[in-house]
Amino acid sequence: MERINKIQILQKELPDLELLADSRSLQIYGQDWTRFRQPDPLAVVFPRSVDQVQALVKFARLEKLALVPSGGRTGLSGGAVAASCELVVSFEKMRKISEFNPLEASLKVEAGVVTQALQAYAAEQGLFYPISFAAEGSAQIGGNIATNAGGIRVLRYGLTRDWVEGLTVVTGAGEVLELNRGLIKNASGYDLRHLFIGSEGTLGFIVAATIRLAQPPPPQTVMLLALESMPAVMSLFHSAKVYLKLSAFEFFSEQALNYVCQHRQLPQPLENPAPFYVLCEFDSDEEAALAVFEQGFADGNLLDGVISQSSAQAEELWQYREGISESITQFTPYKNDLSVRVSKVPEFMQELDQLVAESYPDFEVIWFGHIGDGNLHMNVLKPETMEVGEFERSCLLVNHAVYQLVEKYAGSVSAEHGIGLLKRNALRFCRSQAEINILRQVKRVFDPDNIMNPGKLLNDE
Amino acid sequence: MKILVGIKRVVDFNVRVRVKPDGSGVDTDGAKMSINPFDEIALEEALRLREAGIASEVIVISIGDSSCQQQLRTGLAMGADRAIQVDTDIHLQPLAAARTMLAVIETEQPGLVILGKQAIDDDNNQTGQMLAALWNRPQATFASKVVVAGDTATVTREVDAGLETIEVDLPAVITTDLRLNTPRFVKLPDIMKAKRKPLEVIAFTELAVSNDNNIQIDHYAPPAVREKGIMVDSAAALVTELKSRGLL
Ligand SMILES: Cc1cc2nc3c(=O)[nH]c(=O)nc-3n(C[C@H](O)[C@H](O)[C@H](O)COP(=O)(O)OP(=O)(O)OC[C@H]3O[C@@H](n4cnc5c(N)ncnc54)[C@H](O)[C@@H]3O)c2cc1C
Repeated sequence: MERINKIQILQKELPDLELLADSRSLQIYGQDWTRFRQPDPLAVVFPRSVDQVQALVKFARLEKLALVPSGGRTGLSGGAVAASCELVVSFEKMRKISEFNPLEASLKVEAGVVTQALQAYAAEQGLFYPISFAAEGSAQIGGNIATNAGGIRVLRYGLTRDWVEGLTVVTGAGEVLELNRGLIKNASGYDLRHLFIGSEGTLGFIVAATIRLAQPPPPQTVMLLALESMPAVMSLFHSAKVYLKLSAFEFFSEQALNYVCQHRQLPQPLENPAPFYVLCEFDSDEEAALAVFEQGFADGNLLDGVISQSSAQAEELWQYREGISESITQFTPYKNDLSVRVSKVPEFMQELDQLVAESYPDFEVIWFGHIGDGNLHMNVLKPETMEVGEFERSCLLVNHAVYQLVEKYAGSVSAEHGIGLLKRNALRFCRSQAEINILRQVKRVFDPDNIMNPGKLLNDE
Repeated sequence: MKILVGIKRVVDFNVRVRVKPDGSGVDTDGAKMSINPFDEIALEEALRLREAGIASEVIVISIGDSSCQQQLRTGLAMGADRAIQVDTDIHLQPLAAARTMLAVIETEQPGLVILGKQAIDDDNNQTGQMLAALWNRPQATFASKVVVAGDTATVTREVDAGLETIEVDLPAVITTDLRLNTPRFVKLPDIMKAKRKPLEVIAFTELAVSNDNNIQIDHYAPPAVREKGIMVDSAAALVTELKSRGLL
């Protein structure tokens, strides 16, 4: 009854705001890519303008209504999950690309523009939007900014943060702010834009952004290499960095490859299986690629490898890496998205591997990640017979030790997926208490009534 | 049996080509170049026939300047036994290309020639057919399945009406369609091995092939930009709109 009331008041106060509250829509829009919480939103609304977003926030403040900003819902940390009767605010209807400026190589996007659409628009102008990852066909630029998305080319082009030159936001207090206004240089005090990047919807809504584009890279070649061990992966990384102009350097385990091959019905890319694989992309240079291979082969690090001869083959090879996440989704994976400094990776991996082998003897663990950035995705697969709640509890238990290890190595419990709902109790392993206190104060400044994505990133005190 | 496979160096299929501002051609400077995808399929099929013990040798041939040696080396790395480059700076049209191949066929005497059904740069789809006619041997174009037994090849062809299966006596010319196979990846150790495989260069002029280009190109232009569509609210509005443009 109370719910229906709330919806009626909302519709009366904001009659132009599109709203859905049927059970199917609630199920779809109440969750992201994760499956650990039962979606239960009040309703979902679809604003079409900054004004509508602002009016909504003002209304929500008065009504003490919790809001969940929602993008492409590909998030992996439960950031866009609405499981406590929140109102989901979807940016699906805000998809305009405008103000392309060839001199600046910049443009303006509304929050709901799909990442791939931005890439395609850039390509049409002869330019390049470098942020790329497997979910780019659904994820939105607003969601990318809210999570500071990374992906496969961070090594060369950095994170989403590095391409945002301006933001239009509506804060949790209902103010519209134009942050940094598209400037390259702006030394006029605190750069609030950067606070919003990676804020996971907890400070306010990102409504539009000014994005800078890059020059397209020269033709690229992809190699898929088989390796004996994790230290071999890192020493290959070293020589690849010396000889090649790298755009991506990704690794995955034999099990990960097997799942992709099954799921996408792909043939094994190499004759013999190997414990680890590296996929790297670089400015085409076959001589240099051969040099890397020969050295790795001579050192005993490399077992085998293939190299793309066309962009079609480069895409085929990428499938073996890009298909991993999707291929294990059916197993409700518990995802750890860890990072340490690149130089610490081999040591960290070794300890982690041991820890996991001891603590997860009954679970299958799938490794992959953007290893060139020190970013490791550790996925624990749910045994078919185990109930989701029990599975999450067992993972949390083991994770305590994993997080302590991350703390010991001064790493992060979330490299790029965000803290969201699922990792909020782990924040303390990579942020000091003093730092967390400041985060809370910052949140209060922008969101005095705690209506913006409450319970995400920071747990309830 | 020897198999001869034609390989053309073309702009990679994912590259957006741009017409030069003066309309004199297409700007390929710095663009990624690859083996014509249909030719890659042709080579894969030849290699599979050799691996099945049906062929004893696979020869790749390309007509072009020295830059096409790169694609021939790729062919060798995929597994071809040797390569022939017919060296010329002239951009040959299909008839001249077919004559050139015929000249090489006369020395090599292959039992089978496999070509792509067309090259993705000019999309002519003529060389295989012309070659078969000049050579006076059967042709099986647009192949999606090839079975060789004894002196005949049974070929499933992709035709407008669906699939057609024909039998041809060897030697013959087969041209490939996309569904025939998926070419293998090139292994890095094989690139090193390919450097030691023979690559013969024959001067185009040595073959005494006539190059009377029968098509003259006067200029290139990009395709017309599609006009943006408009949205109408109802069927009635659509009818009105069509009528106003004299389309109904
Ligand atoms: C197969 C797969 C592969 C992936 N690979 C990568 C990868 O390589 N690198 C990587 O970084 N991530 C990766 N991800 C995670 C995910 O795609 C990114 O986090 C992405 O940026 C999320 O965008 P989204 O639009 O789907 O956001 P959502 O999931 O909808 O939301 C994510 C967070 O952003 C907030 N949010 C969304 N829109 C707004 C807005 N307009 N204003 C304020 N807050 C907002 C939400 O409240 C939530 O907290 C992957 C996901 C999948 C499924």
